[in-house]
Amino acid sequence: MMFNPVDIILSFVLLSVLFSFGADRVLTLIKLVGFQGVVVSIIPFFIGDHMSTGGTVFTLATLVIRGVIIPLSIFVAIRKGAIRRVVEPIVGYHASILCGLAVIIGTTYLSGRLDIGSVSGFKLLEPTAIALLATGMFLLMARRNAIAMVIGYIMMENGIYLVGSGLSVSTRHIVEFGILLDVLAGVMIMMIMAVILRNIKQTFDDVDTALLRTLKD
Amino acid sequence: MVEIIILTPFIAGLIVFFVFSAFSLPKSIGRFLLVLTGAVHLTLSFMLWRNHPQAIFDQYFAVTPEGMLSLLVISLLFFLISVYTVGFLKESQIPSESLFTGSMLVFLSTMTMVTLSNHIMVMWIAIEATTLASAPLIYTHRSAASLEATWKYVLICSVGIAMALLGSVLVVFSMGQANAGTPISFSALTGVAKTLDPLWLKAGFVFILVGYGTKMGLAPMHTWLPDAHSEAPSPASALLSGVLLNCAYLGIFKTNKIMVAAGLQDFSGGILMVFGLLSILAAATFILKQNEYKRMLAYSSIENMGIIAFGTGVGGLGVYGAVICMIHHSLIKSSLFLSSGNILLGYGDRLIKNTGNLVKGMPRTFVAFFAGFAGIAGFPPFGLFIGELCIILAAFRAGFHVAVTVFILSLCVIFAGFGNQVMKICFEDCNTAIKIKEKACMVWPQYLLLLTSLILCFYIPDSLNQTISDAVTAIGGGLR
Repeated sequence: MMFNPVDIILSFVLLSVLFSFGADRVLTLIKLVGFQGVVVSIIPFFIGDHMSTGGTVFTLATLVIRGVIIPLSIFVAIRKGAIRRVVEPIVGYHASILCGLAVIIGTTYLSGRLDIGSVSGFKLLEPTAIALLATGMFLLMARRNAIAMVIGYIMMENGIYLVGSGLSVSTRHIVEFGILLDVLAGVMIMMIMAVILRNIKQTFDDVDTALLRTLKD
Repeated sequence: MVEIIILTPFIAGLIVFFVFSAFSLPKSIGRFLLVLTGAVHLTLSFMLWRNHPQAIFDQYFAVTPEGMLSLLVISLLFFLISVYTVGFLKESQIPSESLFTGSMLVFLSTMTMVTLSNHIMVMWIAIEATTLASAPLIYTHRSAASLEATWKYVLICSVGIAMALLGSVLVVFSMGQANAGTPISFSALTGVAKTLDPLWLKAGFVFILVGYGTKMGLAPMHTWLPDAHSEAPSPASALLSGVLLNCAYLGIFKTNKIMVAAGLQDFSGGILMVFGLLSILAAATFILKQNEYKRMLAYSSIENMGIIAFGTGVGGLGVYGAVICMIHHSLIKSSLFLSSGNILLGYGDRLIKNTGNLVKGMPRTFVAFFAGFAGIAGFPPFGLFIGELCIILAAFRAGFHVAVTVFILSLCVIFAGFGNQVMKICFEDCNTAIKIKEKACMVWPQYLLLLTSLILCFYIPDSLNQTISDAVTAIGGGLR
């Protein structure tokens, strides 16, 4: 059986998914999400036959934004704000890692059931994409540190990008147009999030979202 | 031509934001620009409705009946709300007025873009942009509570909308190899709906419904809504509740159109009905013990969105009812939020127990508030009564007896809870001295909104009626 480059680099992403379940520092999470950002943005170069100039430019723009700008801006945000570096888990680390294993097994099983003809050449594309989505969701729910939650959201976006670039091999429509817009939206969200994070830090002197529980019924 | 109506408020917003903060011009010019842009936007909307021009980027934008209806509502509401805002800004202390006014205008621009977009991805971008443009509005008061509301709003809605993006990708994937040349616009997809892969289309619809449903305030994804609507300043709450929710609904409506054209209306209708009923039930549960009047209005919005989703799901006459409910809910609910702004300024408190005797203290606001309550509760002369009646009739005809019984019972509970609180605000004794005078510009917008709603119950111009029925028949509804 032949392994192709896509599956090999995607296997590293799956490993990084497992790491992010166990990561206890925000800094580690930033590195992981940056790595995933780089990998998911170069995937379109390997799949599909040819790439138009516009497509190449957009893919490179994605690479810079997902791999460099977004992680860097979060890094700068925590540096400037002197924000606490611990992710403050709601679910403990051991249990988290177990969840991570369950996610990987679950997604592999699930993508085996869903037969997507166009991407059958890459065995790990679908499991990785779904695993990224699930991991992002997990971080959003099981971490109280606001930055860890933002990183969870970006991880979800990475997963969606991977779904998009994988599926659009057959349809080819989205890559050039939609993805650029997706990235633009990502940057806009980051800007807003950065402002909100700074204000949360100033108002509450912490980014623990347990402090944000006064409004309820 | 079509694009001008998106660009006008956007440019006006940027001017207010940058020029005013850079040169610290007098506030009155900014307020004037807000009203002026509202008036220009309203004029442009009418021209668009009359002439149906072609968009320059016609693969991305198009004038559709359902979009046109929403656009007219948005334009009218924004203009009246902008008039109110002038009075509101004079009475209340807002830290950064140019940011507030600028965000209002950019917000109008993004909502206009939602109503005119015909491309799946442009629709998604536009709805995401509404979140970003309205986030500063919620954080206007710079308090800890408003920060919390903004954080929840941006995070929950962004995650929800990420789901909608996934859904959009799946819908595109359902096109498969056969439709590789078809543009990914709603109109083109509706045209080739029969050739789409039903499995992926269904999956895409579910994700889109959950995603845009989050933004629309459908339970159980509604948790951000009461916080955001109660913490935002009242003109912004009126916009959020009156028109933003409709924009999200439009995304679901257009996707449902594809589902109906593909012959999958039973699937999509069933899910819409379930989410609709859940929302109505959630509203009924929380409205009973509500102690803040703005939160109470927010829950009423969740209820109405539930009614609209339920009606769309039922199909037939129900869709007609849903569209009628959508129009009247926008008109009446925004007037209620504006009146609640007067109450907040007058009593200086958000809690129902610290207000009272509105009928004596603020008689002009009382008229608007009480009439708004009568309208939103579904009293016969107002349009929501007609809309809800259509939905109930359609549901009985289609044989959803259990669902419609739950629907009616929940409406009764909500009416009782809502009525109880409104009576307290209006008639119970209270010794608080009223802090503001009721200026004309702070009550007339509400009167005009309610009057429009009332007129539309008795007389709908033929051209408007045509637009409504075009929108309704496109997803298998009608007056039969």
